[in-house]
Amino acid sequence: MNPAKSYAHLFSPLGGDAGDNYRAPNVLTFLRSTYVPLNAEALKKSGASYAFVGVPFDEGNVGKPGSEEGPREFRLASQEYFTYWFEYNVDLYGVAVDCGDVSMPKVSPDVARERIYRAVREVLKAGLIPILVGGDRSMSIAATKALSDHIGPAKRMGYMHFGAHLDLADSWAGEKNLAPCALARITELPNLEARNVAHIGARNAMNPKDWTDLAKERGIRFNPMFELLERGVYETAEGAIDRVWQGTDAQYVSFNFNVMDASAAPGVTSTEPGGLESREMMRIAEMIGKRKTLDVIDVSELCPVFDVSGTAARLAVCVVTRIMASLAKERGEEIDASIRRSDLVAG
Amino acid sequence: MISKQDTMWKFVPHQHRGPAEHTGADDHVCSPKNHNGAFKSRGLATFMGAPYCPADRKAIREMGAKICFLGCPWDQGQIVRAGTSQGASGVREATTQYFPYMFEYDVDILTFFRVVDCGDIPNVPGNNAKSHELIDQYITECLEGGAKVIMSGGDHSLPIPGSRALSRHMSKGRIGYLHVDSHLDAGPDWAGNKITNCSGPARAIELPNCSAKNMAHLGSRNSLNPKDWWDFYVDNSIRVITMREIVERGIEACTAEIFELAWKGTDAVYFSWDTDSIDISCMPGSTSPECYGLKGREAIALARVAGRYGCDVLDIVELAPYFDVSHMSIKMAANMIYHYLGSRARTLIEQGKTP
Repeated sequence: MNPAKSYAHLFSPLGGDAGDNYRAPNVLTFLRSTYVPLNAEALKKSGASYAFVGVPFDEGNVGKPGSEEGPREFRLASQEYFTYWFEYNVDLYGVAVDCGDVSMPKVSPDVARERIYRAVREVLKAGLIPILVGGDRSMSIAATKALSDHIGPAKRMGYMHFGAHLDLADSWAGEKNLAPCALARITELPNLEARNVAHIGARNAMNPKDWTDLAKERGIRFNPMFELLERGVYETAEGAIDRVWQGTDAQYVSFNFNVMDASAAPGVTSTEPGGLESREMMRIAEMIGKRKTLDVIDVSELCPVFDVSGTAARLAVCVVTRIMASLAKERGEEIDASIRRSDLVAG
Repeated sequence: MISKQDTMWKFVPHQHRGPAEHTGADDHVCSPKNHNGAFKSRGLATFMGAPYCPADRKAIREMGAKICFLGCPWDQGQIVRAGTSQGASGVREATTQYFPYMFEYDVDILTFFRVVDCGDIPNVPGNNAKSHELIDQYITECLEGGAKVIMSGGDHSLPIPGSRALSRHMSKGRIGYLHVDSHLDAGPDWAGNKITNCSGPARAIELPNCSAKNMAHLGSRNSLNPKDWWDFYVDNSIRVITMREIVERGIEACTAEIFELAWKGTDAVYFSWDTDSIDISCMPGSTSPECYGLKGREAIALARVAGRYGCDVLDIVELAPYFDVSHMSIKMAANMIYHYLGSRARTLIEQGKTP
């Protein structure tokens, strides 16, 4: 316990001028974190481990539009939470900074992709973990390439994909960089081998034949929903996580929350019945954190206009922050057990 | 006059005719090649993008269709909130977000069954009896045309004319009747009216070739189930699998049990599936949604097991897109049908049979 530091944010609001801004944020940032411009020097100086970057890009989408609003809604939902996690006894205060959104030139997707790529490179250069919130799934193409280039050809990366759709279109209507092409492009990265790729949650008929054909051709092992239910969700997920972390130097975890059952996440661009329940995803998030290392997290396809009572956005925030909390605990960042509310401690 | 040439089953991928037409025969099971296909530019909104065929036994036979989709926008046979007249449109809309290829079963259900969309059944507002007569006629045409029927309601009075049509079609044999629903629906009448959504099984048992031992109910729960409905099952010794039993035993075993009963010594089965059998969280777009129901994965498992046994008429009723959230109910309904057909096709292929 450091007497020079304030621990007020761990507790219920104490009243007065300090610590009572739970529902009144000054500036809307991820977890009420500090805004730091997207610049490697500034990020390094901040001392944070994570940099939140919004990616309001919706021009790679083939279904229901609306994912542009994802970053804003994600930040808003994060205001509902404390940085303290009782389940892990860790504190995420100051662990993250918010770099705002990548600026988007409308109707110029190639320029947008280049900017997403540069933003991720910049954060990685500073040694922070980018948390990217989209935006449609196609942003993962630029972001994984940034990680791949950052670690260089001598190192290997692992990639974990959550979603109801395989996204393995070699091309869609002649286009190569749309959301349904995401995994097809990502598995072409030079330092990503098929054995380090995992896909969790595929189901239903928005998975045309060329996608499963390409999975076979490239040796991509995916765990469809039926397999998760038959073999056990956690056992199957653990195996998938093993593949991503086994012998890799960097790991990328990518969420489309249509991996969830439609009832658990209505606010996504393409709801699908028959998916994961929140309680299952919570434990999977913890399992990911237990691996101790992680290089990029992305969340795509949130669609707040269709959400109900913030269900999907809150789930997304809980999954991302739970990974951070679980990771902090594994890294031995538990807080001092002696810290108490000062007004309740005698003397 | 419909010439044979005009009505042969022919699938035009994504239904795009004109200068930007798709030409590849198997385009519909793969990602689009030239343009966005049915996504956001969907051509005619038929079920699964299937060709249209009039509900005419000769036309259906000539097209060789083995599955006829019928929309039935009839919602005046019910006692709860209205809105099911949009149900079939909702299912058609949801299918524009899917491909007819299902990787789980590795089958193209559209061409396997030569699916056709026969449009909507007309109805007479304010007249339940006349509307039921039209439903009976349309289903009869499809069955006589050699196809099996998927009917998207519409309210849950639909199985009354539906099972009547199947009973007559199979008059030389016996039929089974299955009712999956949160409500028991077995009133002798409702305020004197005998053909509402409260009396499906009560009317089915009166059919000359349908006996109690080939009937079953699955999914019942909560208290929109008056005592006379429950007495019907007790007095006739009809198997009822309540939600509580499903939670204990698992949906797959329970589904297999009711289909075994329905197919025991029968030649055809009518399967009536109410969307409110599914939990309100996964099916808000239903006319009387109930908590403590099937989760999405359980509804899909039910469809998958049902596909192993098959049925002659499947109705999906009480879907009300007005109350839907983020397309989840209409996509659930579409998946109930898709997984049934996918599993059915896989089963037939493994048995070396054709539909």
